[in-house]
Amino acid sequence: MAPLRALNLPILTRQVLQFLAANGILSVEDFLVHDIYTLAARTEHQTNSEVLKQAIAEILSFIDSQHSRWLNGAQLLENLQQTVHVLPTGCEGLDSLLGGGLLEGTLTELVGPSASGKTQICLRAASHIAYHSQAAVMYLDTCNSFSSKRIAQFLNVLAKSSIKSKDQQGNIERAMKGIFHYNVFDVYSMLDLLYQIESSMQTQGKNESSRVRLLIVDSVSSVITPILSGSNLQGHSLMISLGVVLKKLALEYSIAVLITNHIVVDKTGTSKPALGESWKSMPHVRLLLSRDPVSNICDMSLLKHTSMVCDQQASLSLNS
Amino acid sequence: METICLPLAPSHRARLVSAGYRTLDSFNNLSPLDLARDIGVSSEEALDILKVAWRTKAIDGNSPKGANLLAGAKTAWDLLCEEKTMKRIVTFCEDLDVILGGGICRKEVTEVGGVPGIGKTQLGIQLAINVQIPVDLGGLGGQAIYIDTEGSFMVERVCQIAKACIEKLKDIPCTSERKVEECHTKLKVDDFLSNIFYFRACNYTEQIAVINYMDKFIEERDKVKIIIVDSVTFHFRQDFEDLALRTRLLGGMSQKLMRLAEEYDTAVVLMNQVTTKFSGGSFQLALALGESWSHACTNRVVLYWNGDNRFGYIDKSPSLQSASAPFSITTGGICNLERNKRIKMA
Repeated sequence: MAPLRALNLPILTRQVLQFLAANGILSVEDFLVHDIYTLAARTEHQTNSEVLKQAIAEILSFIDSQHSRWLNGAQLLENLQQTVHVLPTGCEGLDSLLGGGLLEGTLTELVGPSASGKTQICLRAASHIAYHSQAAVMYLDTCNSFSSKRIAQFLNVLAKSSIKSKDQQGNIERAMKGIFHYNVFDVYSMLDLLYQIESSMQTQGKNESSRVRLLIVDSVSSVITPILSGSNLQGHSLMISLGVVLKKLALEYSIAVLITNHIVVDKTGTSKPALGESWKSMPHVRLLLSRDPVSNICDMSLLKHTSMVCDQQASLSLNS
Repeated sequence: METICLPLAPSHRARLVSAGYRTLDSFNNLSPLDLARDIGVSSEEALDILKVAWRTKAIDGNSPKGANLLAGAKTAWDLLCEEKTMKRIVTFCEDLDVILGGGICRKEVTEVGGVPGIGKTQLGIQLAINVQIPVDLGGLGGQAIYIDTEGSFMVERVCQIAKACIEKLKDIPCTSERKVEECHTKLKVDDFLSNIFYFRACNYTEQIAVINYMDKFIEERDKVKIIIVDSVTFHFRQDFEDLALRTRLLGGMSQKLMRLAEEYDTAVVLMNQVTTKFSGGSFQLALALGESWSHACTNRVVLYWNGDNRFGYIDKSPSLQSASAPFSITTGGICNLERNKRIKMA
C-alpha cells in the first residue's frame, strides 16, 4: 500500500509523520495493522498530543471513506444480466462449452501442448469479435505466432456467411484495423504495456464505440518460464503481479481476457498446466486442449469454471 | 509501473515495497532525505534509487499515448499489407516451398527437426546460399549468419551448393532486362562464401553469448536476412544436471531469438534433434528439448524418411495447413524429388 504521505491530507504535517515513523508506521498498511489504542496512548507523552490524536482520527475516517460500495447478490446478478456481455468466439464447440462464449470481466486460459490449436482459437476469437462486435481487440504476442493472413482467412469466411451486408471488403478492412498487435518478449515490457493500456483506458473512459472488449495474451508462460525458479522469488512475484494486473484490467474495464499456457510433464510422466500451483488460481476459466494429428480435430475439456460443471468435452475442427 | 520492475538491488527493492513504495507514482514529490529516512538507507543510496525511478518514469512518459494505439502496436491490417510485400527465402525444392507458403518466412522462427542424416544441415546451408540470390533475380540479396554448435558445417559443401545455385540461376530471367548478362556474370562463389558469417559455439555458454551478441552484429550489417542455428539442441542435451535451469535458459534464448526475428526482419531457422518419447504404450520419435521448448518456434517442419525418400512435414504453423512434401538432396543441394529421378535416368 501507499506511503501515508501519498494520502495528501493537510493534517499530515512533518511532526505527525515523524511521530508515526518513530512508531514504525510508514505506509497505510502499517497504520491499519497497528493497534490504534496503543498509538493513542503513546501520544500522551508528546507535547502536541491533541494534534496527533486528531490526525489519527482523521486518517482513520479518511481510510474508512475509501472503501468501495457493498453489493449484495441481487445487485450482482442484475449487473451480470444487464451489463456483462458474452462474446461468442465463433468456435461452436468452445462457445457451447462456455455457455455462449467468453465472458467480459473474466480471465479464460487455454492450456495445451504445442500445436494443439491454442493460437488458432485466439486468432479466430479475435477476428470473430472484431467483426461482429466492432470492438477493439488487443493481441499481445510473446511467441511470434500472430498471423494476419490467418485472420484475413477467418474474416473472409465470416464475410461470405453474412450475405446481407454489401460492403464485404470494407467490413474486413475495418475489422482488421480493430485488431491491435503487440510484440512482447519479456515480462517487464509485458507489465509496462499492461500499465500503459490501463492508463490509456482511464483517460479514454468507457467510450462504447471503440472500446477494447478482448485482450489476448499468447502466451503467458513464454515470458514467465525464463524467470521462474524455486530460488528466485522475484520471478514468482512478477508472475503474480502479471496475473493481478490482468484480472484488474478484466474487471475494471469489463474486458474479456484470453490467455494461453503451456503444458509441463512432471516426474511421474503425467502432464499438467505450466506455471504451478500459484498461477492455478489466476484464471477464472481453464480449458485443456489436445489435437489429434491425423484428423486435425481439437478436443477441449473444461478443467475449471466458476459457474459451470467441469470435465465437459467438446471438439473443434482446425481446418478453415 | 511497479517498483518490483525497477532495476534495483533486491534488498533495496524489498525495503521500498515494505515501506509502501509499490508504484512509480509514489516517488512523486519525494526528497532523497525523506526516502532515506523511510527505508533506512544512506541519502546517497536514496538519491540513486530516485534517479532510477525518475529515469524509468521519463522513458514511460515519452512514449506516445494514442487513443487505442500504444507504442509498438500495429493493426492486423498493417501487418497483412506488410506481409504481402515480404519476400520469402526459397529452398529450391518447389514441393517444399509450396507447403511452406512460398519458402521460409522472415520475421518468424522456423524449427527444423529430424533424425541424423535426413538433411538438416544441408537445408541450412542451402538457405544460407539462397538468401543471397540477388534482387534482380527475384531473391533477397541478403546475408546469412550461421551458428554452428556441432561442427558439421563443411566449406567444400557450401562451394558445391553455391556453384549449383549459380547454374540454376542462369535459367531464371533477370527482372531488370537491361543487364541480363551483367547480373549473371556478377555471381561468384567467393561472394557467396563471404556473405555467410560463421560462428562456432563449443558449449552452451558460448551459444547463449553468441545469440546475445547478435543484436550488435546485425545492427552493423543490415543485410542479414537469416540466422541459422545448427543445432540448437546439441549442447543442451549433455551435462545438464539441473533441468529447471535448462528450461529457464532455453526459454530465455527462445525469447531472444524471437525478438531478433521481429526486430531485424530476419528469418530464424533452428535445427533440432529427435528423441524418443513414451506415449500411448509405445516409444515414438519426437523432437528433443521437451514440452516447454516446443513453443519456442512459430513454424515447425519435421523431416523424415518414407521408404527411400525424404519428406518434410509442417507440424506446427499459425497460418499454414499441415501437409507433407518429398524432397531430395543431390550434389547441388536441395531439390525436387522428380528432378532427381530424371538425373538418375540420364
